[in-house]
Amino acid sequence: MSPKSPVCVELEGDLVATASGEAQATAARRVQAHVGRCAPCRGEFERYQVIEGEVAAMRGHMLAAPHAALARDRLEARLADLRSRLVAYRVFASPIGPVLIARSEQGVLLVEYLDAGRSLKSSRLHGLPRVEAVEDGGETEAFYRELREYLDGRRTRLDWPLDLRLVRSDFHRDVLRTTAAIPYGAVVSYAGLAREVGRPRAVRAAAQALRWNPLPIVIPCHRVIGSSGALTGYAGGETSRKQKLLAVEGIPTTRARRDFRIVREAMYVRAPGDSEYCLPTCPSVDPFPLGGTLFGSRTRAEAAGFAPCSTCRPDLHPLAR
Amino acid sequence: MDDAGFETMVAAHHGEIYRYLVRAIGRTSDADDLSQETFLRAYRAYRTLPKEANTRAWLFAIATNLSRNHFRAQSRRRRAYAALSAVVVETDGAGGPEGAAVGCEVAAAVEAVVVGLPLKQRLAFLQRKIHGLDYEAIGQSLECSAESARAHVFQALKKIRHALDGHAVFAKESSR
Repeated sequence: MSPKSPVCVELEGDLVATASGEAQATAARRVQAHVGRCAPCRGEFERYQVIEGEVAAMRGHMLAAPHAALARDRLEARLADLRSRLVAYRVFASPIGPVLIARSEQGVLLVEYLDAGRSLKSSRLHGLPRVEAVEDGGETEAFYRELREYLDGRRTRLDWPLDLRLVRSDFHRDVLRTTAAIPYGAVVSYAGLAREVGRPRAVRAAAQALRWNPLPIVIPCHRVIGSSGALTGYAGGETSRKQKLLAVEGIPTTRARRDFRIVREAMYVRAPGDSEYCLPTCPSVDPFPLGGTLFGSRTRAEAAGFAPCSTCRPDLHPLAR
Repeated sequence: MDDAGFETMVAAHHGEIYRYLVRAIGRTSDADDLSQETFLRAYRAYRTLPKEANTRAWLFAIATNLSRNHFRAQSRRRRAYAALSAVVVETDGAGGPEGAAVGCEVAAAVEAVVVGLPLKQRLAFLQRKIHGLDYEAIGQSLECSAESARAHVFQALKKIRHALDGHAVFAKESSR
C-alpha cells in the first residue's frame, strides 16, 4: 500500500467506523469530506463498504439450520435429564435444630437433621449418583413455612408432593407407606407396625426402614416407639427430638433414665383392627406389650375416625390430664 | 419448578447462540456441545438472575466464556487452529475475477477470515457485527472495557479488509 498522509492515518479509525455505520455524525462528516478529496481513502472506504455488505449477508445467512434444529433436539433431551437430576435444597433453622429440605421436580425427596454441620457435605445428598444439588431457597421456602407451622402445632398434616427415590427397597417403601398412615397424635409400636405391613417377624427390619426414612416428620416415623413404651431410637439416638415432636402432637411422655417413655396410662387405646377407642383400663384391650394404636387425646382418636368404646365409655369417663 | 420462562428463552435465543458458536468455534460438532452447555448452565442459574437482567446478553456472555475455555483447553492439547488454517488457505487460493461465482466466494472468504481471527477479535466481531450486541455487553463477556471491545472489532475489520487484498471483490481497485 502506498504511504499515507498523516491526515489519512489519523482518519483511518473513523473511516472504518463510518463505512460500517458505527461512526458518530461529526466523525462521519469529516470522513465523507476527506474521502471526496482523497482517492486512496475513497478506495479504502469503498472496500470497507463492500465488507459491510458481506457482513450483512452473513447476518442473514441461516447458517447450518438443520444442524441447529438437531442441536435444539439434543438440548431438550439433556435439559430433561438435567431437570430429573437437579435437586434444590436449603438448610433452615428450626426448634429441633438445622433441617435440610431438598426437592426435585417431582417433589420433596429429603428432610434431614443436620447435626454434623450445615454444609452440603454433611448431608445424604452429597455424592449421590444422578443428583445435582443446588442451593435454592425459592424452591424450598414454602415447605419450610409449612414445617414451621407443623412444629408450632398450627398444622397437623404436611401434604407434600414426594419423591421417594431415596427409599432403599420395596419393603422399606411398604413400611414407610404404613407409617405415613399413622394418625396425628397417635403412636404405634415397631412390632405393631411390622404386623400392619404383613411381616410380623420383621420388627428389626421395619425399624431399619424407619432409620433410613428420607422424609422424617413428613412420614412420621417419630410415631413409632418400642413395645415397652420407650421412645427408643430416632435420628441417630436423638430421642429428645422425638419427644419434642410427640409433645407437639399432645402425646404425654416422661423421662426414664436415659430414654423417654410414653405415659401409657394417660393415653387412649385402639386395638388392632378395632373401630373403637378405649380407656387404657378397658377389659377389652391387652396391657403391655403395646399393641394397636395409642392416642394422646379423644379429639385425636375421633379425628382419626374412631368411636368411643361402648364398654368402657371414654366419652363419659375421659382421662384426667 | 416453573420452567415456562426458561422455555421461552430457549425458543427465542437457541438459534442465534448456536450460530454464534458455529462461527466462534468453527466446528459444528463442538458448537453443538457448547450451545447445549450454554443452556444447561443457564438453566442452573436463571432463577437467581435479576428480573431486569438482559437475558440475551447474559446467554452470549455464557457462550463467549465457554468458547474461550474451549480454546484454552484446545491449545493445551496443541491442536489449535489446525483445521481452521486449512480452510483459510483453500479459499485464499481460489480468488479470481471470474464472474457469477464471485459473490458466493467472497462470502466464503469473509467467513474464512473471520474463523481465522484471533479469538477475542473474533468473539467481539461476531457479537457486534453479526448479533448486534452493544459494546458494554461485549466488554463484559470478554472481561474487558467497552473501549477494548470496540478496538477488537476495529482490528477484526482491518484484518478482514487486508485478507481480501487482491480478491475479486476488490478487483476494480486492486490494479494499483
